[in-house]
Amino acid sequence: MGLFDIGSMSSDVKEYYDFVIIGGGPAGLTAAIYARRAGLTALVVEKALEGGAVTQTHMVENWPGEKSIEGQALGQKFADHAKHFGAEIHYAFAQKVTIDGDYKVVELDDGHSVRCKVLIVATGTQPRKLGVPGETEFRGKGITYCAACDGYLFKDKDVVVIGGGDSACDESHFLAKVVNSITMVQNLPYLTAAKILQERILNDPKITVITNHVVKEIRGTSKVEEVVIIDNTTKEEKVIKTDGVFIYVGLSPMTEVVKGLVEMNQNGYVITNENMETNVPGIYAVGDIRIKGLRQIVTAAADGAIAAEHAARKYF
Amino acid sequence: MSLLAEKDVKYLEELFGKELENKVKLIFFHDDDCEYCELEGQLLDEVQALSDKILVERYHKDSEKGREYNVEFAPALIITLEDGKDRGVRFYGVPSGHEFGTLIQDIVLFGKNAKPQLSQETIDKLNQLDKPVKISVFVTPTCPYCPKAALTAHNMALASDKVTAEVVEAGEFFDLSDQFGVSSVPHIAINRDPEKFFIGAYPEPQFLQQVLDLSE
Repeated sequence: MGLFDIGSMSSDVKEYYDFVIIGGGPAGLTAAIYARRAGLTALVVEKALEGGAVTQTHMVENWPGEKSIEGQALGQKFADHAKHFGAEIHYAFAQKVTIDGDYKVVELDDGHSVRCKVLIVATGTQPRKLGVPGETEFRGKGITYCAACDGYLFKDKDVVVIGGGDSACDESHFLAKVVNSITMVQNLPYLTAAKILQERILNDPKITVITNHVVKEIRGTSKVEEVVIIDNTTKEEKVIKTDGVFIYVGLSPMTEVVKGLVEMNQNGYVITNENMETNVPGIYAVGDIRIKGLRQIVTAAADGAIAAEHAARKYF
Repeated sequence: MSLLAEKDVKYLEELFGKELENKVKLIFFHDDDCEYCELEGQLLDEVQALSDKILVERYHKDSEKGREYNVEFAPALIITLEDGKDRGVRFYGVPSGHEFGTLIQDIVLFGKNAKPQLSQETIDKLNQLDKPVKISVFVTPTCPYCPKAALTAHNMALASDKVTAEVVEAGEFFDLSDQFGVSSVPHIAINRDPEKFFIGAYPEPQFLQQVLDLSE
């Protein structure tokens, strides 16, 4: 990220767009690019930062054409690309979707209301909660889910990272530059991250990896002080003293805005057909929120393209 | 060496040329023993050069002006219309990283006569406040969710004379952040009470509800 990031201005919102896309990550922005290239108007509603959660990823190394690129930079490229073709981006939370005949109406938290013919839901995922005692109590009191946001607040401190997947490993690699020490706790007997990410972790003298242990509890007084873990094999308890806890134990879909409107599975992932259509005509779901085998930037972008192309042919 | 990239300068000149309808004043307060004051001073030189509608004034924190604006820390930046009247919109710490975007949006807001960009419902509720409310939004430059919280707070200050909103760069004011127990940003404290806070960039109605509940 640049020292001074100009961000970008929210577009003024018009009353109608051919496409409204909720979520400005790789899936949503790709849908916007395809919609615009089909000659249709497109509004992307983004709640935080254009580029989506990719912008919080330390490094991306599996987007073809970019051997290694900061998540922030790649997210910015996606957004610039969509805007280059005339997509508009408005910063707001989409609060509610209603159906009005052939049209969908999206209500935003800033009081705006937008009509569209095609709605593409690309809201992505958020960090999953660990679900142990102390997690809610100490949220914001030493527990965090965003290394990019909060890493610096733990400068020279000792922290625990919970998880052993891609995010846990990549973020630990990033955090190690700032903090004094990292103890990674993984419930499985091995890390599940891509091999290249695991090697970086295992070669970093600041990082200790404890596998085959589950977290029982996060404890403290006014803020986090220790993490209690249990050995899966011996059932022995251990206490790790810590100043902070970073939780990276997977993701859960953010489907609040269409809950009760489109069909989802028991875990809250949206059910679509191969064209990304939900059960509601004119509403598509793309990217990490849908049921799929691989949740990656490249598959998210593919979803966006498929949905926009299909909708452009079917509804216009 | 300039802080702003050449392409950003071009973008911002165009943006301000198009968007600013009236003059905007940036009142900057520095201190002698201040690690980042020089950096912010240079940044403001460059921002000022972007538009003749942007006015920059500079004072020492412990000056008459500093007392007039009740400036507690440096660097501080207060944004006002040309009249210099304090509308309760300020930054403590350099608006860098993603927060530079917040400053740009603030300038555009003030450049349209400081009209808050909030729903009418939010504005109406803020106008029913009967006592002052101070919103402190702790941020870091690398936090993508923070500008939304910072801007919502600044807009709320514009909507009501009772509300003041300060954006505090947590890394620059480590002791203050520590005192407020900041470990995850955006961390929003109400009325400078370390016990009264919420965390995260909420949608506008929920943000408002938190502010109203915690300020009771």
